[in-house]
Amino acid sequence: MTLRAFWRLILVIGISLWSSFSWGEPKELRIIHFNDFHGFARPHRPLGFKEEVGGAAWMASLAEHLKGEKPAIFLAAGDMIQGDNWANLFEGRSVIRLLNAMRIDAMVLGNHEFDFGPGVLGQRIKEANFPVLGANVVGMDGIRRHVVKKVGEARVGIIGVITAETPLMTHPRNVRGLKFLDPEEVLARELEGISKEVDIVVVLSHCGYSKDREIASRVRGIHVIVGGHSHTRLDEPVKVNDTIIVQAWEHGKTLGVLDISVDGGKVLSWKGGLRDIVPSRWGPDPEAMSIVEEYSRQMSQLLDTVVGVAGVDLDGENVRERETNFGNLVADLLREVSGAQVAMVNGGSIRRSIPRGPVTLDSIYSALPFDNYVVTLKIRGRGLWEALEHGVSGRGGGRFPQVSGIKITYCPQGEPGKRLREVRVGMEPLEMDRTYLLATNDFLAAGGDGYSSLVQALDEGDKMENLGGALVGGSITFSDPGRWVRELLAEKVKEKGTVSPSLEGRIMEACP
Amino acid sequence: MRVFVDGREVYLRPGMKVRHALIQLGLEPWKGELILRDRWGNPVGLDGALRDGDELFLHGKPTEKLSQEHPTR
Repeated sequence: MTLRAFWRLILVIGISLWSSFSWGEPKELRIIHFNDFHGFARPHRPLGFKEEVGGAAWMASLAEHLKGEKPAIFLAAGDMIQGDNWANLFEGRSVIRLLNAMRIDAMVLGNHEFDFGPGVLGQRIKEANFPVLGANVVGMDGIRRHVVKKVGEARVGIIGVITAETPLMTHPRNVRGLKFLDPEEVLARELEGISKEVDIVVVLSHCGYSKDREIASRVRGIHVIVGGHSHTRLDEPVKVNDTIIVQAWEHGKTLGVLDISVDGGKVLSWKGGLRDIVPSRWGPDPEAMSIVEEYSRQMSQLLDTVVGVAGVDLDGENVRERETNFGNLVADLLREVSGAQVAMVNGGSIRRSIPRGPVTLDSIYSALPFDNYVVTLKIRGRGLWEALEHGVSGRGGGRFPQVSGIKITYCPQGEPGKRLREVRVGMEPLEMDRTYLLATNDFLAAGGDGYSSLVQALDEGDKMENLGGALVGGSITFSDPGRWVRELLAEKVKEKGTVSPSLEGRIMEACP
Repeated sequence: MRVFVDGREVYLRPGMKVRHALIQLGLEPWKGELILRDRWGNPVGLDGALRDGDELFLHGKPTEKLSQEHPTR
């Protein structure tokens, strides 16, 4: 090699190195994000608020405005398709159409995305015009571990992770055959592959804020975590080590905005916060608005639809006083769907009667307005006795029980704590040391209405194991947080055509 | 799992949320201008997920204490 050729080679190498260090202008990028939308597409007024907030059409118009100001990506951090009736009545299809219209760039699966079952979720993923991410989910078709987007001059790598506790948060059948790996381990592996390809790594996380902080403190190489799951309102971005964490509360009440400047794989500066969605302050996006209105109209029609017939009046008036046929119907439903031996609900969970004749969806939803779901737990006979004693001693109040699989005799005038006289499970007397399977709602399972003995049942075994997506062991044998009791009842009425529950002497009064 | 609300221990089943912690304490999460914050002072929603050891703090107007009759349920 001649001296001239040598210096030419040195020059070429030098230019090449210079360009690889990208000494150019920093790359500007805007991340727009929201999480835990739960189908709250319509403006609503949460308790304590003076005016309506939220509204997807107003969020969409704000997002469009923000996108117009600088290169941007729009991200959804999970739990989007289940929650409000606007979503549930269409098994999330309405939400996916909305997200398509909002032109989001990527979404991570949240635990509630699984609530309609894997078949429905698979269909929703097919309908999405954007990638649905879940790097730590094994066995689910149609999802991607990560995606790389060119945003302005920046190449952005987006990795999606979901809480590994997802199998504890939905019905076991919804996650059968799926595995949810530890997000940190998966992220470390994904980062190895993606970091060199991109200018910035964004983790779209449905793991919750405290877990996101742990990820940021343990996994290096993540520039931004866009979070969800804990419904945290992070008014300003938080920095943990070299990672910026953002999260935008819940139910479409806020939109998160993060402006960052990156160069050479490092974030040079950032600025961000939340923008409240307040419909009175600007106009809606027409396309998003038409979708919201279209499904709202369909929702009204569905609620007016007759789903079956009540062969008798369903008594929701006396549920706080005595056995009623409506109480029996609901308690039987819980026992049936869970396979439990016995069931108990609080009378206060039933708010209205349904007269004999055609039953509309709306009448069921009005009678059971609470977002209660079914929980089945193991409980000793002694604990069950205490729960029933507590229930009947609250006669006249919401805690008075409605039961299935049990016959109770009690004395309303008896000494407090000693009103219960006899409990039979099926035909047999309740055995104090025997373990029973009790189906109830999440309100009572959490100890609501003073049902502390149901909380104490936790001590009898709270160790849950997730074996390949199925729950094994523990005091809970069944939990279905994604399906409200009212939805189950509507399905039941539809399936049976006519319901005619009767009084069966399940709760009898007798004093010595 | 065990979480803390203003230092009070609450035992919840896996998958239960912020609202369940309040229910167990007999607090009415459906009423009042209740604001809950996490250990870092950030507001959290009633449907926010919880993890073992999480801490919550009540702010704002005191919530109503549930009567044994629980008139709203």
